[in-house]
Amino acid sequence: MSTAPRPAGHCRYDVIVVGAGLAGTLVAKELGDEGWRVLVLEAGTDTLSTWPGHLDALDTYYTATAKVPNSPYRPNPDAPSPDLLDLEGLPDGGYRTHGYLLQNGPLPYGTDYLRSNGGTTLHWLGLTPRMLPEDFAVRSTFGYGKDWPISYADLEAHYRAAERELGVAGDTAEQAEALGLPFPAGYVYPMREIPRSHLDHVVAAAVDGVRVKDSAGAPDTTLRVVTTPHARNSTPNPHYDEGRGYRPVGAVGLPDYGERCVGNASCVPICPVQAKYTPLKTQARWDHRVTLVTHAVVSRVLTHDDGRALGVEYLAYDDPAAAAHTVRTAEADIVVLAAHAVENAKLLLLSGLAGRSGQVGRNLMDHPVLLTWGLLPGPTGPFRGPASTSGLEGFRTGPARRNRAPFRVEISNWGWNWPTGAPSSDVARLLGITGDSGQPRGKPLFGRELRTALGDGIGRQFSLQFALEQGAESRNRVTLDPSRRDRLGIPQPLLTYDLSDHVKRGMVAAKAVSDRIFGLLGAEDRTAYGPGPFSPGYFRFEGGDWVFHGAGHGAGTHVMGDSRDTSVVDPWQRCWDHPNLYAVGCGSMPSVGTSNPSLTLAALALRSSEQIHRDLTALHRPVRVRPAHAPVTAVPGPTGPLGSSPPDTSPPTPAGGSGAGAVPSPATPRTS
Amino acid sequence: MATHAPGPAREPASSHPEFQGFVDLSVRLTGFDAYDLHATGMVRLYHDTVLDQLGREAVGRFLAAVEAAGGDPDRLADEEARDIARAITHLWYLGVWPQLSRAVHTALGRERANAAFTASPEAYTEGLVWRTFHGHPAGAKPPGFGTWAAPPPGAGAPALSSPLSGTADGGSS
Repeated sequence: MSTAPRPAGHCRYDVIVVGAGLAGTLVAKELGDEGWRVLVLEAGTDTLSTWPGHLDALDTYYTATAKVPNSPYRPNPDAPSPDLLDLEGLPDGGYRTHGYLLQNGPLPYGTDYLRSNGGTTLHWLGLTPRMLPEDFAVRSTFGYGKDWPISYADLEAHYRAAERELGVAGDTAEQAEALGLPFPAGYVYPMREIPRSHLDHVVAAAVDGVRVKDSAGAPDTTLRVVTTPHARNSTPNPHYDEGRGYRPVGAVGLPDYGERCVGNASCVPICPVQAKYTPLKTQARWDHRVTLVTHAVVSRVLTHDDGRALGVEYLAYDDPAAAAHTVRTAEADIVVLAAHAVENAKLLLLSGLAGRSGQVGRNLMDHPVLLTWGLLPGPTGPFRGPASTSGLEGFRTGPARRNRAPFRVEISNWGWNWPTGAPSSDVARLLGITGDSGQPRGKPLFGRELRTALGDGIGRQFSLQFALEQGAESRNRVTLDPSRRDRLGIPQPLLTYDLSDHVKRGMVAAKAVSDRIFGLLGAEDRTAYGPGPFSPGYFRFEGGDWVFHGAGHGAGTHVMGDSRDTSVVDPWQRCWDHPNLYAVGCGSMPSVGTSNPSLTLAALALRSSEQIHRDLTALHRPVRVRPAHAPVTAVPGPTGPLGSSPPDTSPPTPAGGSGAGAVPSPATPRTS
Repeated sequence: MATHAPGPAREPASSHPEFQGFVDLSVRLTGFDAYDLHATGMVRLYHDTVLDQLGREAVGRFLAAVEAAGGDPDRLADEEARDIARAITHLWYLGVWPQLSRAVHTALGRERANAAFTASPEAYTEGLVWRTFHGHPAGAKPPGFGTWAAPPPGAGAPALSSPLSGTADGGSS
């Protein structure tokens, strides 16, 4: 590593946010709006925040031969990201991994993320279901995983704030009725629901009202197709915000564009018109006090002897293709890690911080996904609209969770794209092209015969995605391998991952539900699970073959709790051991329920922003001036950003939220 | 959708005899007519890609093999010709030049990696595969808000029987 003279890269802020993804972008927005000087350090590049950069990513996506979620975004050896192509299944089961994430667990962690300005949310699908009230207490209610120290009620207002910031389209009445989600009276989402797909209607016509038993001893569940909330521009709801309505937020860098989804059918990995929320939309409205520095890989958190964070050390590079970099530091009153669950754990481990509970890096979670696929008797209209517009929600709740993991069923609008790589794989198959060029090739179809076979086969494809809850388990974890370092010399994360029998029993139940739905639809089931290069998630369970996939929902590596002995962060996502160091994001979640986690992450980030603001306000409380003769009672702090506004001299009293009383005040840091 | 009879198109590129021959061949391989193939704007790029990937000599042998088969790709006898036919068809359907079979790659003595690649960004969006099921390329040519709710061509009308959420008349059993 090279070193630079300290003054060259030294600067001081009120807050340093590490990572410009969804959580970091929201925290920076809130604190910038409050008048604080915020430095956001982003490890990756910033290609996407201009319209030409966006078009470049689109072309990169078009030309990618494997259109995986990270395909539009250029590889960056100085801030490497895991890629789904890193994993390879072995012929007889087991897996091999080639990339940035090292793995030594029984099963692969098949989830990617993206280190770039905007983060993984650049390629999220954009579904925004809330977690259910019972999801916050799975240990005490159902006997698995971990309980949250806060409840749905504590987070409800922040869910609404997140739904505004992300721009959510949905049907609150349907969510309340079908899922029992509590909303305040009269609340509606900013936009009306994304319309159901033709396939949603076909499935609903066949299954709505049918009662099924997913496993022995489980109570009956009534099938019902329910539309899904999305952070995707739809029709504004004039009743939103007590009749004030909502103006959709369009593309970054191209005014008045992308204010409605137009059905590109490529939400993952990139929405061409930017009708889907990305953090870049929020960044476009950042206060001028927010400074973004990209190409800045934070290598450790710097601390005082008393455990308080002093700032961060980061490695600044110019050219992502070169290892050359400069070591810099930045200081602030509060440091917020918002770099992704795996990266947050990596930074805490690199810095040797927050270790008292022994939980840093542990409880790694995802939503393991089981796919089923088949052919309907008639055309399904595949590859139209958002990847999923509706699902079946009945298996997310209830006492069956004691015995098997709950699951959310997504109806996929994109044919067999996920299970088999359709439609490319269909073309290759009918031409006799196998995955291994050394194998003999089959007899090809050509001409009208090929065209007709493709049209009929692809046109009737449909698939279901069962996203299962994975409970927190301390054996699933992130550690570091000091012997394996990335290009800038930072140790790479080493993951140890497995699925519990609770999750596997959930998959068995999910397949039973799938079988029933396929039967009701008169569908021809083409689901097949077996080992092979494209099935790294292959395993056997109860005498059967299974294959699971990752959902991209990394969580749980710095779980929150109500005790410093058993959790890494407090209910405000503040490290118990370091009162001015926050770790925000899905890593704080003690359980993930069956909801796509970004909305909950956003709600948590907004909630923590309020506490960070209170902490900063307390730190900048006016000092008393000693000379007795002066009538002065207070002056603004030396770096106070609040100008001449009356200083808040009240002690920081966290408002609302259970567990608030246990939170140490930043003005009176505890020693441990 | 091919609603036009096959026939010589009149755009400038087709006046080149090589393109004309390439288009005639491609019509037989793909099942799309000349009008549709020209409309993709990909004729010249694909012609040049094939020549670049295989060389003039191998292409000459391939054309001779096609002629010997009476112009019918289903009757191509040798594996080299058949694999080249696969590759050209794959290129038209997906915009991607595929890996050749290893044996054919070796037999051709190609001095390049046997790797798949997309011919250009537009080649992906002009892939013929999407048209086989009345679709559009994922990520391009979007049909508009809410169009995914409409039944696709050839589908019945269950979509409109329960346009709103709520209790449908539902299933049996």
